[in-house]
Amino acid sequence: MMRNVWWVIFPVLILLFGLLAYGLTTNPKHIPSPLIGKPFPALQGKDLNGTDVTLGVVDGKPTIVNVWASWCGACRTEHNVLLRGARRYGDSISLVAINYKDELPNARRWLSSLGDPYQWSFHDLSGRAGLELGVYGVPETFFINKQGIIVEKISAPLTDEMLANGVALMSK
Amino acid sequence: MNKNIKNILTSVLLLSISSLVFSAGISEDPLERKVLDIAAKLRCTVCQNQPVAESNSDLAKDMRAAIKEKLQQGQSEKEIIQFFVDRFGDYVLLSPPKTGNGLVVWLFPPILLLFTFFAVVMIMRSRSAKAEITPPSALSKADQERIRRARNESNKSGEDE
Repeated sequence: MMRNVWWVIFPVLILLFGLLAYGLTTNPKHIPSPLIGKPFPALQGKDLNGTDVTLGVVDGKPTIVNVWASWCGACRTEHNVLLRGARRYGDSISLVAINYKDELPNARRWLSSLGDPYQWSFHDLSGRAGLELGVYGVPETFFINKQGIIVEKISAPLTDEMLANGVALMSK
Repeated sequence: MNKNIKNILTSVLLLSISSLVFSAGISEDPLERKVLDIAAKLRCTVCQNQPVAESNSDLAKDMRAAIKEKLQQGQSEKEIIQFFVDRFGDYVLLSPPKTGNGLVVWLFPPILLLFTFFAVVMIMRSRSAKAEITPPSALSKADQERIRRARNESNKSGEDE
């Protein structure tokens, strides 16, 4: 009788420990985006020069939309990755940005001093475009395929590998 | 008598004024209340485990402003919550949905409780079964012989006395 009980309890304990171990090794800050597989909303606004722009597929090419701000420290390290990426993939993809909750002079100064990898930056001073896209922190990056579907969203500073991965996904 | 009536009238007057003052003091904007009700159900995604209603972060403020705007546009609470779920995922809900993956979260604790209950009952039963006094086994022939001899000897010594 006693032995029977342990045959039931033991597998359940193993299952519980397995679940706990899994929980400990996952990153609680990584939140899968429900937007993957959905079309990118065609948000309209102005870029940093006041020109009208529309978010989504740009120039009929797979498009990367990078969310950045001059007040965001992690964006600084990411910026070099984007500059390299624009040189490497510039012919086959479009790279645009959302400048999130930033003052125009600060944003312009950032781009003129660090280099501008973007075709344009959508100026989202109020954060409404960010809310529409489920942005909860900068930097974030959306990868959109030619059909305008979001195929990947990264909520962290990009690395060269992440960028290459995303480009491969959106070019499929 | 006249003075009494005057006193009563004065106190009634004062009370009616004070009730006016009080009712003005506690009246609140029902729209704000509704905004906070909805915001209490949403997780502030930049601060771990804090509802949007309580957070002072920029994002939470934006979300409250968006809730207010949508309420003014006549959207229902359900529509507004769905707006955030569509963009931020189920994670934005402080109370996980009772479907799909969320069901695991809701069902696991009661199942575990039931399981523990049955496990304890089974263990206690097996223990009480063991604790029962087993009837003594029959004496072996050698033992019976020893008892017989011992009795004989004690009878003898009894006769000696």
